[in-house]
Amino acid sequence: MSKTPSQFAQYRRTSLYLNGFLLLAVFATLAPFVYIALSSFKTQISLLMGDVWFSPTLYNYNEVLFDRTSDYLQNFANSVLVTSISTFFVVLISFFAGYSLFRMRWPNYVVNLFLIWSMAFNLIPSVSLASAWYGMAREVGLANDYVALILAHITLHLPMALWLLASFFREIPKELEEAAYIDGAGFVTLVRRVIAPLMAPGLVATAILIYVFSWNEFPVALALTNNETGTVPVAIAKYAQEEEIKYTQMAAASVLSALPALFALLFGQRFIVRGITAGAVK
Amino acid sequence: MSFVELKDVRKAYGAVEVLHGLNADIQEGEFIAILGESGCGKSTLLRTIAGLEEISSGQICIGGKVVNDISPRDRNIAMVFQSYALYPHMTVAQNICFPLQLSGASDAEQKTQLHRAAEMLDLTAYLDRKPRDLSGGQRQRVAMGRAIVRNPSVFLFDEPLSNLDAKLRVQMRSDIRTLQQELGTTAIYVTHDQIEAMTMADRIMLMNKGKIEQFGNPLQLYDQPASKFVAGFVGSPPINLIPGKIASVPNAVFECDSLRIAMPGTPLANGEATLGIRPEDISFCSDSAATNAQGQVESMECTGDRTVVDISIAGTKIKVSSPQRVGFDKGATVNLSFQPEKCHFFGPDGLRVRL
Repeated sequence: MSKTPSQFAQYRRTSLYLNGFLLLAVFATLAPFVYIALSSFKTQISLLMGDVWFSPTLYNYNEVLFDRTSDYLQNFANSVLVTSISTFFVVLISFFAGYSLFRMRWPNYVVNLFLIWSMAFNLIPSVSLASAWYGMAREVGLANDYVALILAHITLHLPMALWLLASFFREIPKELEEAAYIDGAGFVTLVRRVIAPLMAPGLVATAILIYVFSWNEFPVALALTNNETGTVPVAIAKYAQEEEIKYTQMAAASVLSALPALFALLFGQRFIVRGITAGAVK
Repeated sequence: MSFVELKDVRKAYGAVEVLHGLNADIQEGEFIAILGESGCGKSTLLRTIAGLEEISSGQICIGGKVVNDISPRDRNIAMVFQSYALYPHMTVAQNICFPLQLSGASDAEQKTQLHRAAEMLDLTAYLDRKPRDLSGGQRQRVAMGRAIVRNPSVFLFDEPLSNLDAKLRVQMRSDIRTLQQELGTTAIYVTHDQIEAMTMADRIMLMNKGKIEQFGNPLQLYDQPASKFVAGFVGSPPINLIPGKIASVPNAVFECDSLRIAMPGTPLANGEATLGIRPEDISFCSDSAATNAQGQVESMECTGDRTVVDISIAGTKIKVSSPQRVGFDKGATVNLSFQPEKCHFFGPDGLRVRL
């Protein structure tokens, strides 16, 4: 059936509104980032004066990266270490836990209880866990140690990873496993040759999202680390000291910290979109 | 000696038993169809033979060896699934070679087997494609290829043709049968389609509610159904089942209203019974001496080679399939003659009455 002229007009009006919302959303997400990126090239005075036009300077980046009093590169390395190791273990554990939960014959209520509990865990503010974990870490001699933070990050992000992987697991037909068993595969071969390759998009998407979460995690990292072992978010916060707030250096540090995640997202965004909507439409 | 042997095989899920003690012997090289309605346990039986389901009690032997506790991969079987279950991330060649790789075959061996299978199944042009780029029939053939490269001792098929369109199904039916005969491998084929079972199988195992109703060659099932269920399941248009009773005065006679059929022997008991007779075993006659019953014509369908007439005999509706192009008015009274040797009698328990 063809549309009447008034229907076309209505359609155009609707799409105009919808596109308006899209623009608003783009502005809302992009504006703060642009503001910070611009600030990172300003001098502190220029920023505080509210200059719109300014001559860009690399002074802030120089200070953040190469000043002798700056620990930023060390913090950056800490972040890479903590985030990479914790992400690796989160994906590994959630993969096998997910295999058990979604592929073995658990009664439905077990699966549901488990998922509900792991979501409830995410509702607890991580700050409230941070002090408890600090106490535990000190007790076992792991205060200010990477190991404590890595363990904490694994605990924090496992539930989310399990949720993200659920739909990928559910998408794999049972017959593929049975076919593999009949073809002569044992469990290890099954996982390595059939399940893992089919799960690859889901695993990549999960790894990227967990990497980003872990990279940006602040309250627990603040509690469990010191100057030497601090991660990037902790380092950025330290630019706001009692006597002065180094806005422009803070901005430069923020821009630098966003780079790895940005690359990861650009590389993996097709996996992530697929990951979040997997199984929605056959 | 039997090659696949089922001895009192039972399978229960919790308190619900779905296979009630099955016994069967299958010879080497036989093509067996397991036929039945959905939910009768035929797929479950196949899966227990494959080792994908454990049996609750009884014994399954393959090649003289009890396989109850042997895992699927060590039973030397191959299975073709209804959904084909091809590995979507592998090419056709990789799919077919997968079982060979796992069994540690050399590259040369894999190549030989792959090309043998590809030629047999006409897949040579598609070896580098992924399953998603293939048609249903081609996927089906890849699944077959994956099954035959292993040289299994038994092929298991779980409704492999039900996702194909009608024309392709007929084609694949004979392809599978020919292939199986060439290879001489024992095959067990699950289907709900009686035509598939009748045309492909050496013997049909007809299942109903977790039990074997009859296990015999296709024409045995057709000509000597062991029970009312078998009679009703096999054949199209379906057999006429007419309830009545057996009286013996002085010789055994089946009676239903005005319908009287002399029975060729003496049944063990009198009483309620059902007469089964196929539509093509009833004919129209003008000779009143040969007439067994009279009925009123209700409707007619002519398919060109046959005419199927719906007739009511004192309220019981039956079908008569005539090779002649008969023309009756609706409501006309016709004389019917039942071929006495084609009459089957079933007792109140549904089983064939022994004469």
